[in-house]
Amino acid sequence: MQKHNQKEHLYKLLVIGDLGVGKTSIIKRYVHQNFSPHYRATIGVDFALKVLNWDAETVVRLQLWDIAGQERFGNMTRVYYREAMGAFIVFDVTRPATFEAVTKWKEDLDSKLILPNGKPVPAVLLANKCDQGIDVLMNNGIKMDQFCKENGFVGWFETSAKENININEASRCLVKHIIASESDPVQSVEPDIIKPHLNSSKIVSCSACFKS
Amino acid sequence: PAALPPAPLGFTDVNLNSRNTYEVSRRRSAPEHLPHGGTAPAEPASPPQEPAERARHRVGIAGAGSSFAEFFTRNFFTKKTKELKPAVQSAPGWKLFGKVPPRENLPKDSKIIQQEYEARTGRMYKPPPPSARRKNIEFEPLSTTALILEDRPANLPAKSVEEALRHRQEYDEMVAEAKKREIKEAHKRKKIMRERFKQEENIASAMVIWVNEILPNWEGMRATRRVRELWWQGLPPSVRGKVWSLAVGNELNITPELYEIFLSRAKERWKSFSETSSENDTEDAGASVADREASLELIKLDISRTFPSLYIFQKGGPYHDLLHSVLGAYTCYRPDVGYVQGMSFIAAVLILNLEEADAFIAFANLLNKPCQLAFFRVDHSMMLKYFAAFEVFFEENLPKLFLHFKSYSLTPDIYLIDWIFTLYSKSLPLDLACRVWDVFCRDGEEFLFRTGLGILRLYEDILLQMDFIHIAQFLTKLPEDITSEKLFSCIAAIQMQNSNKKWAQVFASLMKDNKEGDKNHSPAPKS
Repeated sequence: MQKHNQKEHLYKLLVIGDLGVGKTSIIKRYVHQNFSPHYRATIGVDFALKVLNWDAETVVRLQLWDIAGQERFGNMTRVYYREAMGAFIVFDVTRPATFEAVTKWKEDLDSKLILPNGKPVPAVLLANKCDQGIDVLMNNGIKMDQFCKENGFVGWFETSAKENININEASRCLVKHIIASESDPVQSVEPDIIKPHLNSSKIVSCSACFKS
Repeated sequence: PAALPPAPLGFTDVNLNSRNTYEVSRRRSAPEHLPHGGTAPAEPASPPQEPAERARHRVGIAGAGSSFAEFFTRNFFTKKTKELKPAVQSAPGWKLFGKVPPRENLPKDSKIIQQEYEARTGRMYKPPPPSARRKNIEFEPLSTTALILEDRPANLPAKSVEEALRHRQEYDEMVAEAKKREIKEAHKRKKIMRERFKQEENIASAMVIWVNEILPNWEGMRATRRVRELWWQGLPPSVRGKVWSLAVGNELNITPELYEIFLSRAKERWKSFSETSSENDTEDAGASVADREASLELIKLDISRTFPSLYIFQKGGPYHDLLHSVLGAYTCYRPDVGYVQGMSFIAAVLILNLEEADAFIAFANLLNKPCQLAFFRVDHSMMLKYFAAFEVFFEENLPKLFLHFKSYSLTPDIYLIDWIFTLYSKSLPLDLACRVWDVFCRDGEEFLFRTGLGILRLYEDILLQMDFIHIAQFLTKLPEDITSEKLFSCIAAIQMQNSNKKWAQVFASLMKDNKEGDKNHSPAPKS
């Protein structure tokens, strides 16, 4: 079936965030196009596969790693991060504590995972359960943009697995950045040396995402 | 008990206003037949010239769906119908007895056709009055009697004679085929029933032996060959909880009174927790308090996500508070362990088989076993030892699959974590998980890993054909049709011997190996 000139990319994506924020629901919505309020708690890790026809020449296969949210598992789930190319960090807009945990998740991710070119893996922030009528974030869009810049997210989206809001968009944003980061020449062969301008230049190139 | 369908759960998210009730109940009772349930009933009454394939599809619907699901949907939705005025409009051309609300503009001749059909087939079907129908939940329309050939509605041009004849013929073929299938299915059902009867007889006779002979002489008999063999067959549900309690023991000497004490302590905490959190976010609280409160919060989140398909643990369900109590009391009893995901599944299985205090006692003692303690304390280096021991027996028993996994760097932590943390209660059907627990109580932790190898053996041929992501998906969501006969024969075929070393010896030598070079054991990062 595959055309001769068709390229296939395989990306491992992590879906992380506090317990009960809807990681499994987002994945089920994205991959199986359905929603149930009755998913079981994830223990360890669950998996899903999504195939995207990215463009005429490119097929993208996404391996989604749905990682258990309890903080206690942090040590254990570290091995799951290996070789991931991107990440969604999810929080629940109805529970502020899950947003406070976002920076912790991001730091955890960056400390465990660095791309071959020395950069952090692209991460998209998902403000899930936005169907629940709490639009604190809506009014704080600028603040959220700022938060993403400060914490090195390539973009953020208000999502709802229940109402199927923005999940495809968020995924396209993440994949776009992964493809971009792949075609990036290796900039740093000495990953020990931190170059502050690396981060800032990255963010400028992604700001388009914030508006989508 | 594991066979309960999730049907009654679904109704809360169904938007009743936007769909007619007929469609909803049909969708619920046969979801696999109607992925796009929204379209079919909205069609105009279609004349029977629709493709035979499609019609056959609808024939299937009438017979499908478990009676249990129907019970719920019917009872629920019949009540709802009265409250919801929105018009129930069109119904499909192929009518299903007992399920279709009366159509508003019924074609005049449909009655006549029905009479014709009844006369022809020689059977008279009198639909029961609606009230009787509602009570008679066992009524299940058979596809042969539920399909009616209708003519085109009066407002459309009539069929030509050949066309009518052809449709008649197609219709007859469909009915005949459906009948054949029904007979075949009836035979299958009969066979299953016969097996079930036999099984029930076995359970009944085993129960007598357990109650009259074994339980009164527990210590003397538990290790005898006869008892061990009977044990392997699975415990009769009526003695299951009792045998589990005895086998797990009560090393910790917990009494029901002690449980009450910890429970009331937990309740106090919940109270103070809800009071403080309503005032403002407790920023100034000490880290340990915040931790404990977080762990109480997690319990709340997880309870309704424990066996959601059983409904009973959900908010408002009969066992919701019980599960909350047992887990809450445990976090007060063992603050050093606290609540860890996976516990809710274990506590739930115990609650289903034991009284509240006994469930707590068994729970606390079970989690105090070395393997469970290692996992629930998330002692990563110990967990890795267990995985390493597992891999020794994996390679020994299933060398081909072992290499296949190795080639994808597919390590046991991908699939074993879920299995061990929940003692298979999340990954296997509940009745099968209980059988695994039975023998786990007999053989100890070794059996958990043996069961894992049994699962891998059962699906070895399929797994050998798969790549990384498909294996990972498969093992983290096992097929639902896994049967206890097949699984247990695969488990029985797993040898827990590695060059004359048993599980305990292999594990002990792994522990010794790593004593020397044990330095990469860093403590878990605390927030």
